[in-house]
Amino acid sequence: MRWGVGAARSIQRLYKEPITAAGVFITFAFLLIAILGPVLAPYGANAIIASDARQPPSAAHWFGTDNLGRDVFSRVVLGAREILLLSGLGTLLAVVSGTFVGLLSGYRGGWLDEAIMRTFDSLLAMPALLLALLLLGTVGQSRNSILAVIVVVYTPIVARVVRSVVLSVKTKEFVEAARLQGETQARILFREILPSALPALAVEGALRFSYAIFLVASLGFLGVGVQPPSPNWGLMVKEARSFAVQIPWAMYFPAGAISVVVIGVNLAADGLRRLLQGES
Amino acid sequence: MESFSVKSSQKRRLWTLALLAGLALLLPACAGSAPEATQPGEEVAIQAGEPSGLLRIAVQPIVNIDPAFISSDPEVLVASSVYDYLIDVTPQNTLEPRLAREWKVSEDGLTYVITLVENAGFHDGTRLTAEDVVWTFDRLREPGSGLPTENLYSNVASIEATGEFEVTFTLTEPNPFFPYDLSDNHALILRAGTEDANTFSNGSGPFRVVAYEPESRMELEANPDYFQEGKPRLANLEFIFFPDQNAQVEALRSGQVDLVMFLSTDLYNSLKDEPDLVPLEVATNGFDLVRLRSDRPPGDDPRVTQALRLATDREAIYQLVLQGYGAIGRDSPIGPMYTQYYSDETPLPERDLDAARQLLIDAGYTDGLDLVLHTPDTGNRPTLAVVLKEQWAEIGVNVEVVVEPESVYYADDGWLEVDLGITGWGSRPYPQFYLDTMLVCGAIWNESHFCDEEFDALAELAGRTMNEEERVDAYRQIQALLIERGLVIIPYFFAQLGAIRDDFQGFAMKPFPGRSDLAVVSKAGP
Amino acid sequence: MVSNEPVLQIENLTVAYRQDGTWLEAVRDVSMSIHAGETYGLVGESGSGKTTLALAVMRYLGKNGSIRSGQVFLSGRDLLALSLAEVRQVWGKQIALVPQNPGSALNPTMRIGEQLAESLRHHLGLDPAAARGLANEWFDRVGMADSERVADSYPHQISGGMQQRVLIALALSTDPHLLILDEPTTNLDVTTQAVILERVRELIQLQNTAVLYVTHNLGVVAQVCDRVAVLYAGELVEEASTADLFTQPFHPYTAGLIESVPRLGDTKEFVRLQSIQGSIPALGELPSGCVFRPRCPLAVEICETRPPFFATGVSRKSRCHRWEEILSGAVDPRQGELPGPHGPTSMLQHSASPPRPPEDRTVEANANLRIAALDVHFPVRRPLIDVIRRSPPRAVRAVNRVDLEIAPGQTLGLVGESGSGKTTLARAVMGLVPRTGGEIELLSAPLPERLSQRDLATLRRLQMVFQNPDQAFNPHITIGEALGRTLIRMLGIERSQVKTYVAGLLEAVRLNAEYAGRYPGQLSGGELQRVAIARAFAASPELVICDEPVSSLDVSVQAAILNLIHDLQRQHRNSLLLISHDLAVVGYLADVIAVVYLGHLMEVAPASKLFEPPYHPYTEALLSAIPDVDPTRRGKPIHLVGDIPRPTNIPTGCPFHTRCPRFLGKICVDETPPWQTTPRTKNRIFCHIPVSELAAMQT
Repeated sequence: MRWGVGAARSIQRLYKEPITAAGVFITFAFLLIAILGPVLAPYGANAIIASDARQPPSAAHWFGTDNLGRDVFSRVVLGAREILLLSGLGTLLAVVSGTFVGLLSGYRGGWLDEAIMRTFDSLLAMPALLLALLLLGTVGQSRNSILAVIVVVYTPIVARVVRSVVLSVKTKEFVEAARLQGETQARILFREILPSALPALAVEGALRFSYAIFLVASLGFLGVGVQPPSPNWGLMVKEARSFAVQIPWAMYFPAGAISVVVIGVNLAADGLRRLLQGES
Repeated sequence: MESFSVKSSQKRRLWTLALLAGLALLLPACAGSAPEATQPGEEVAIQAGEPSGLLRIAVQPIVNIDPAFISSDPEVLVASSVYDYLIDVTPQNTLEPRLAREWKVSEDGLTYVITLVENAGFHDGTRLTAEDVVWTFDRLREPGSGLPTENLYSNVASIEATGEFEVTFTLTEPNPFFPYDLSDNHALILRAGTEDANTFSNGSGPFRVVAYEPESRMELEANPDYFQEGKPRLANLEFIFFPDQNAQVEALRSGQVDLVMFLSTDLYNSLKDEPDLVPLEVATNGFDLVRLRSDRPPGDDPRVTQALRLATDREAIYQLVLQGYGAIGRDSPIGPMYTQYYSDETPLPERDLDAARQLLIDAGYTDGLDLVLHTPDTGNRPTLAVVLKEQWAEIGVNVEVVVEPESVYYADDGWLEVDLGITGWGSRPYPQFYLDTMLVCGAIWNESHFCDEEFDALAELAGRTMNEEERVDAYRQIQALLIERGLVIIPYFFAQLGAIRDDFQGFAMKPFPGRSDLAVVSKAGP
Repeated sequence: MVSNEPVLQIENLTVAYRQDGTWLEAVRDVSMSIHAGETYGLVGESGSGKTTLALAVMRYLGKNGSIRSGQVFLSGRDLLALSLAEVRQVWGKQIALVPQNPGSALNPTMRIGEQLAESLRHHLGLDPAAARGLANEWFDRVGMADSERVADSYPHQISGGMQQRVLIALALSTDPHLLILDEPTTNLDVTTQAVILERVRELIQLQNTAVLYVTHNLGVVAQVCDRVAVLYAGELVEEASTADLFTQPFHPYTAGLIESVPRLGDTKEFVRLQSIQGSIPALGELPSGCVFRPRCPLAVEICETRPPFFATGVSRKSRCHRWEEILSGAVDPRQGELPGPHGPTSMLQHSASPPRPPEDRTVEANANLRIAALDVHFPVRRPLIDVIRRSPPRAVRAVNRVDLEIAPGQTLGLVGESGSGKTTLARAVMGLVPRTGGEIELLSAPLPERLSQRDLATLRRLQMVFQNPDQAFNPHITIGEALGRTLIRMLGIERSQVKTYVAGLLEAVRLNAEYAGRYPGQLSGGELQRVAIARAFAASPELVICDEPVSSLDVSVQAAILNLIHDLQRQHRNSLLLISHDLAVVGYLADVIAVVYLGHLMEVAPASKLFEPPYHPYTEALLSAIPDVDPTRRGKPIHLVGDIPRPTNIPTGCPFHTRCPRFLGKICVDETPPWQTTPRTKNRIFCHIPVSELAAMQT
């Protein structure tokens, strides 16, 4: 009931902030595209139509065709599913694992907390892409390993956010009251402490989502973890570079898609942060 | 207060001017390797024997330096600038003398006598003699060395220095292409007794190495004592290593390098109309080969391979991948460049999807077939892989494409291990080489494990006989045989494409571009 | 010394705040005047608008505040007509403010001496040397010990009391016309408060400053102010001289406030604290007519029209329609008839059962809680240099060798100033903090040190009520769910029964059952504390610890909470450990009182006997420092020398010896004092001075 009222008020707020509204709109639009992908795409992702190769955008091919005659629009639409689902799932896993670690580490404190946080510090010191490449080099390249990489790269920061909330909340009287009533540690962590962390978690999760999308696209651009003819936007940009002069649309549309999605999700996350901070 | 500030700004200006003047005076001293400015009164035109100009070439990074091990195009290009061959092959595929002034063959085709030039020397100053030649070839053909040339020179019985500048080769059996073999990519002459051939320290070639930073760049300067008069014409040569072809092209466009080769058709198209670049195009016998190993499943059933061959649309590939450059292939390594040997009388079967599907069902793959296709990331091969994937999908074959960096694909003979792969083969002056190394039963690079008695017999005959007509006929039969029951797919022969800046003259790209002669290139203007 | 022209004249001032798009009037139609040399007290609880009024007078409102109507004159000058630049000239020079929180009012990056000197240079135009000299003079005047060192220090290096003295110096050094004090001593210890108040009184008398003293503490008002105005929900409801107001208030709210403050010496057997039913209305939901009507025992029909501010005597005013009846004695504002849902009930809560006669409070044989030689020390992290130098490790010695016993049904009050270790003691008993030494027994069984070692049965026997009720509940679950959790966990109640029991619990603390569906954010501080008490008493524990249960609540609510605790304790017959810094609160509820200083017990005595000599010199100082809510009794507080030592550096021998006004000599420094028991009254006193001498000196 409370969430319903909050949601209605939040939508009202959107009217006042057009930029955030744009971000939210873009996010949901692309999520919809990702889900409806096969329905929306007029052609298959890999359908080679030799006769239509290298056509500029037209009525038949809204985004034109690439060097092999594949419809760029279809590839972008189907690529959305690939990239968004992969990064979305990875982000979700990272958020869950980061929450667990952050809760435990913040609540227990002591040497466990120190050990975990120092390890995370060293992971955070590395640029995400570099860390990802290192990990993929060791673990091998596949979709599952990209998921694992997203989790490893983003768990530390989620854990940090959760941990900071835990630290500020665990000394509050209501947590002590719960301890005095003999509540189990698990219940205290999840019922007493975690709800306070949810706003920050939601914002961080949304932000990480946008970064994960960019990471997956970057890996695709480097040709790591993804093989042709996958409609991964990053890979599409990489392949299109060779003929950027003759058929620039094959490069600009996937690159544009990456930019728009990342910026959109980022703006939505920012709006979410302001909304939740305003409320609390 | 005011007058003080005016004075101080004036002072500042004076100091700045003085500094600039000082720098201007210093600049010419820093010029260093740049060509000397012409003094007024001297002739501006390049005088013969006065090398000038710098040519910067963008290539993939090289790994092998020892001439015995070089294999990639860039490696050959670099090595052949520092070392020399006995005999070279012209862009028209004819032979021309280099360190070997002339050669004679005996009636029975078993003895070759090579006469060397007498004024050739190594960079360390020693003279190049017959001893060096003998030492080099003995090394190349040493049994058990595992070198690619071991096979090539297996028919050499003995090599002797029969004079200070004369070498005699005795063969076990006649080899009509022996002079071409002597001009093999690896047959660069080293100084006898060289202990470490992994440096560029001592060649006899037109250039010598000044500095080498692996994976970064190599700087060379003209060899002033080069045995051929008036060569090289360039004063300096630079190889700049780029792993990424796009980066090479950008470097050419921006003026950072002057010559780029081994381009894919799309990159070439993007450079064709640049104002100060000259496009380079030469038909070659180089090809990309697609094979499924026949020594184990699923390729051990020839019906599977035939199904794949039937499902391949070569015309579409030629249009999409090569965009009209080069020639369509007919699954045989003998291409139209070998005008006298090439035969198109046996028609290629039409693309037949139903027959292909039926073949698969007959072979027991009723629910389709899953394959993994490995390919290096250079040239047109990745695109070819993607196109094949789509074409074969129509007969229920599900291909997963795995693109690997070239150095990884060819490392440790990994490319021979995989079931399904695409390999690039460079152009050779005569087709026998392909038959002997790729298709003869048990050949060193027989990636498809093709083994056919009739084929072997024909190949041997073609490679042995001194009778040209016999040879032509044998090749004709071979091509028919390969169309009927060959195991490899050769969809096209590509043209070699490149581009060079228009202030360079004399560059003639060869079908094997690594062998292009850089010594005759000159730069117009200062 | 009062001159004729008022320094501050406010006429019909209305100040509004914008919240979520709507304007709410926080101060409505207030008029007052303050003359030079006069100290004018403005009393109100939280949400009354008193701080808003003070800031509005200074024209120091935030962006969302605005003065709607009315006028403010400072020494005849129209303040509201000034431009912002002109107002800035007024600040600091003609009006000075001493705010509530001294720590945040000082620039943390500037030394103290420099801050005062800068102000003097700016406002008085002095040159640096003169400013510095004057600054030093002022440090002496505000009674700063070791003023040289303080002048060189940064704000975080000096104590709260010293910081406040600096702010007073800052404020008074420019000789302003008007000094506004906004709860200046709320965050200070009572002994420090007493000294500072005395100092302030002297200084303002010297400079003839007009003073507006904003506070909620009636005792301070009684001691310090000449005239008082009472602010309720933004309106002035009464204005009178201090003596008149406390003798006979002419407004029911004032009467209720005064009656709800426990006085020193009041104990629960003989006195029942009075509280005011209901709560202060939110600004957006003000009642029509008289703003106090919903809570007023005297409300009648005429109260539905807003009463004017009647002149009820010589410089007396009251905003009650029935003031004449109060004056004549026809009605008593303390005992009216309030029509409520359960029929006519008194506004004031009467106890469910009559007060217990004294004989019933015999100490039973087996104590519920026994603490023996308890030590709680926290090791302090040493910087590396100390480790290298091998200096002895320091520890915060929060609790030292404490012996206490609480009998079943008995209430033990633990009194001490901040930093005395009383909260740490409570937390050690609860198992939230580890012990360094000593033993604790609960019901004659040893109590495990840590919470994790205690089983559910033990936990059930020991519960706690915390100081901050608004942090004592998970903001994301409803009150009903929180209480339900307790019932399920502690009493094993079935889920199906929970709802009924929760309703019962809420009733026991006199809250409507429908509160169960509300979230903590929707309850006021007082209501939340009731629920906390319900939660603590739900499993009928043998011992309940109340840690400053009323310190964060409004005065009018405190009494109800104290009464509630008292009632529930009698009902459940459990023991109570009551912790507070307020001696009057403790004195009211406790049977036995223990006085704590720097983690050491100084005196343990039956409640009734603590307030009579002989007492420990520290107790003596405490008692003298507490401001009496009787303006006729303006005593002189005992000054304690210096600042309270840090708990890492507790003085040897008697820990109080560095500040004791009855310091004997070397013996106090070298030897630990003995525990002396007074023969008749059974007080235990921790002092070298023989009890008989103390008795003689202190009577």
